[in-house]
Amino acid sequence: MENLHLFGVGLGLGLIVIGAGLGIGRLAAAAAEGIARQPEASDKITGAVNLPLFLLEGVAILGEVFALLIVLMK
Amino acid sequence: MSTVAEQSHTAGGSVLDQVGENIINHVSNTYTSDPAEFHPIIYFPDLFDIAEGHDMFNILYSLSVTKHVLMLWVVFILIACAIIIPVRKYLNQEKAIPSGWMNALESVVKFIRDSIVQPNVGSKHTETWAPIILTFFFFILFANGIGLIPVFDLLGVLNRFLFQVPATNDHNLINLLLHGGATVTGNFNVTAGLATITFFAIMVAGSRTHGFINHWKNLAPHGLAWPVYIILIPIEIIGMFVKPFALTMRLAANMTGGHIAILAILSFMAIFADMFDSTVTGISVALFSIPMATAISGLEIIVVLVQAYVFTLLSAVFIGMAINVHH
Repeated sequence: MENLHLFGVGLGLGLIVIGAGLGIGRLAAAAAEGIARQPEASDKITGAVNLPLFLLEGVAILGEVFALLIVLMK
Repeated sequence: MSTVAEQSHTAGGSVLDQVGENIINHVSNTYTSDPAEFHPIIYFPDLFDIAEGHDMFNILYSLSVTKHVLMLWVVFILIACAIIIPVRKYLNQEKAIPSGWMNALESVVKFIRDSIVQPNVGSKHTETWAPIILTFFFFILFANGIGLIPVFDLLGVLNRFLFQVPATNDHNLINLLLHGGATVTGNFNVTAGLATITFFAIMVAGSRTHGFINHWKNLAPHGLAWPVYIILIPIEIIGMFVKPFALTMRLAANMTGGHIAILAILSFMAIFADMFDSTVTGISVALFSIPMATAISGLEIIVVLVQAYVFTLLSAVFIGMAINVHH
């Protein structure tokens, strides 16, 4: 039972990947749809998608850092 | 592969333990929890006895030059040679016609100014804030990029087989540098320093445009019912600190993560060879892990560029948020 924290970290990493993947997927889908409907606005759409994309990535990375901390510090 | 396995058996620890230690050594600074094993590249004693009595904190606060500090110097020299000196030379020219390297530099500067700073900060303040954003971009780009060049690992191979220095010699300069090609921006302290500059830049930007008092008033929107403010004001104050914290974590974790992934995949060779106790297994795993590590290195090149872009973009967005308050 002493290595139970590793189980938790593995589970947590999976959840992080699910969350980040869903978020990025939805963003990309919406952007692709928007550009398909209105190709001339593609620059604006890319700009609008970039910021939430990076914020989302930041949250996922934070989760990974804490997972790593749990492994290292036990 | 068998030599790796044999070495580990003679050393006593399992291969898995050694692999973990190796990876941590690679991504961390000249770090150890035991002060007796702390071998910085250049040793300076503590100046003010900052942390007397705490062995752990002695290491953290001591002024010795460690691996990452040396890499910071290398990055500084590179930036001076590649950016500062050419730009100064160009500005002192009689005819301002860019040529060669300056052409490339100018297109990058123009891209940062026109597509990162100007849309976020606003045309009125572009000239004020473009220099700091450009500095961020070039520093992070060079610091990220130099971490991908395994120059010190090469030096280590030379050191081991040409100069015949054993790996256990802790006072050999190159051995101290080893596990290197260290990414400075993979150190949380470095990125925290960068994010602190952003933190104060946000305040300065707000104070310059709206006045010091108004900048703090602008944090929360005006004209709401008073109970809303009980929730809103703490959230905004937390948000003020979360912004630079997220910047710190994003950059450092991204740069560290790539290195850990590459090393972990390469380490599969040693792990599998040890697990099945055969050299053939190790070599056949190499057929899988070396292409994989190469692919991740390719991904890392994109990450290096994207992270430099992201840090500058988010800094510009945050500074712009303090300047153009829309509530």
